[in-house]
Amino acid sequence: MRILVVEDDTNLNRQVKDALTEGGYAVDVAFDGEEGHFLGDTEPYDAVVLDIGLPQMDGLSVLEEWRRAGKSMPVLLLTARDRWSDKVQGIDAGADDYLAKPFHMEELLARLRALVRRAAGHASNEITAGPVRLDVKAGKVTVDGQAIKLTSHELRLLSYLMHHKGKVVSRTELTEHLYDQDFDRDSNTIEVFVGRLRKKLPEEVIHTVRGLGYQILED
Amino acid sequence: MRKGSIAFSLFWLSAGWLILALAGTAFLLTDLYSRALDGNLTDQLKFNIDTLSSATLDSSEANFSDVGVTDPRFNRASTGWYWVIRNEFGDVIATSKSAVGSVVPALTGSFDADNYRSGILTDETGNRIRAIERATTSNGRPLKITVTGNLDESLQRVGQFRGQTLTVLSAVGIALAIMSGIVARLALRPIDRLGKAIEQVREGEAETIGGNYPREISPLAEEVNELLRSNTQILERARNQVGNLAHGLKTPLAVLRNEAAAAKDNPLTRVVSSETEKMTQLVTTYLDRARLAARSAVVGKKADATMVMLRLVRVMQKLNQNVVIAFKRPDASLPWFRGDEGDLEEIAGNLLDNACKWSKGQIAVTMVAERTPSQQFLLIRIEDDGPGLTEEEARKVLRRGVRLDEKTPGSGLGLDIVKELVDVYGGSLQLKRSVLGGLLAELRLPAAKVGVPVRS
Repeated sequence: MRILVVEDDTNLNRQVKDALTEGGYAVDVAFDGEEGHFLGDTEPYDAVVLDIGLPQMDGLSVLEEWRRAGKSMPVLLLTARDRWSDKVQGIDAGADDYLAKPFHMEELLARLRALVRRAAGHASNEITAGPVRLDVKAGKVTVDGQAIKLTSHELRLLSYLMHHKGKVVSRTELTEHLYDQDFDRDSNTIEVFVGRLRKKLPEEVIHTVRGLGYQILED
Repeated sequence: MRKGSIAFSLFWLSAGWLILALAGTAFLLTDLYSRALDGNLTDQLKFNIDTLSSATLDSSEANFSDVGVTDPRFNRASTGWYWVIRNEFGDVIATSKSAVGSVVPALTGSFDADNYRSGILTDETGNRIRAIERATTSNGRPLKITVTGNLDESLQRVGQFRGQTLTVLSAVGIALAIMSGIVARLALRPIDRLGKAIEQVREGEAETIGGNYPREISPLAEEVNELLRSNTQILERARNQVGNLAHGLKTPLAVLRNEAAAAKDNPLTRVVSSETEKMTQLVTTYLDRARLAARSAVVGKKADATMVMLRLVRVMQKLNQNVVIAFKRPDASLPWFRGDEGDLEEIAGNLLDNACKWSKGQIAVTMVAERTPSQQFLLIRIEDDGPGLTEEEARKVLRRGVRLDEKTPGSGLGLDIVKELVDVYGGSLQLKRSVLGGLLAELRLPAAKVGVPVRS
């Protein structure tokens, strides 16, 4: 899952980035509205954390531009202005959720998780595929009730495929959604990780669709 | 017209002067009339003296038995109309027929330059008489000719005249008093209109004072409008500053809090955590208070509650896709909320947010008008199928500053600001058990006075 964080306060930006990275997301950051708008317009993000008060271009304008251009990724608005009229304005501009500063990082993570899950069409924090069960909130994976250990890269990969189960996911898409823009993208790495993941999971969970990508089948 | 009112003072000032002026006029007119009558009587008497005087010259008799006047009043007894001719010793030489057998009292006092003297006497029958006497000589004999006329007749006529004058002038006075009362009311009517216009602003039916006013009070209307305008501006500015302060403080607070939470647990992070928590509370509390303080002075505002609720339901439905918010749009006759739109959003939004937080999937919102004898209320009911509150818990929650569940994200139940706002507007909030099983929040807010304003 790849997240864009647009926040002009460098400290807060870093904190959110750190927390998200720790939570298993690939994170890109922007410090002003124009940069944020450009990134959100050109890169495929699974969710965006967007501050409203931004230099160059305010958050609501950025959001409206994205929605006008047909970008539909979930957006979590971050703001100090917590009056209901502000919330209404934010939601009407196309935001999916709203978090008032100062906030607890856990709440930000929880809301972001919910947004990503909802965007992928899952109602609960747990996604299952056959014997495999992923607890999105805890970042834990069990097979037939037995916990298995995954590295953070493996977890990201499995999580993305589980979120989009039933859909064929290409290597490019995986690369775009699992790594931030500074990552050295080599599609071979994906194959390596898929190989490692398959060893830890039962067979037939991750299918290879020749020439197209990978797929976890619906139950 | 009450005492202490302009109309009252105006009326009594004009009526007071009116009474004085009319009474003076009545007195003056009667006096003039009585003088005129007396002058006329004097002229008649002098004419008769001259007639008698010339008759004595022509008389051949020593006792002037052939002397007389033609006026028949001098022939009837006891009429008060007499003439007497006396010699220099005061002995009566001749009298009118009316004076035969009675004594006409003599005048005293000195004669004027024309040899006349005059006085008011009473005859034997009690008539008051005006007497004029002339000293003259007839063929070398010094004579005193006295002629009298009845004064009571004149006085009676003066009395009649006074009565008529008073009647007429009283009628005039009453007419003028009624007119001055009407004038006072008419003159003050624009002030009444201005008062009503100001009341409308307070009631939230108008934003400024409209209508045309006379030159004398139109500056007052303009000043009030100017005051309203500057008041709004000050509020606007205060709110903006408050918002800026919020943004300015909340980001650094968020940074500090997150930094402390992310670092390893040690005394420093514990202090930073607890202090930033306090600061956050303070900022929130005082921002709310500042908003409230700015708000309580807001006049002349009203909001379409239906539109506000539709907006809030739309937003909350998007934010909480796992619950169904049932809101039946009330018909257009629902009165508006008398107050600031943002405040209504704040009150209803927080209640709806709570309902969403606790609901298991069902929320119902209804809005109706409720009329008490003295006031019209907007009754908003927001209910959910969550755990609800016991009576004890509900009482606790409605007390200020109590957070029922510290674990629930957000500031407790968010009811502090709701309570404060409801108080500011003189409304009420009750927490009950809903038929859905959860909490029922019953909110009563003042409705705008007009029944059905035009929706724009």
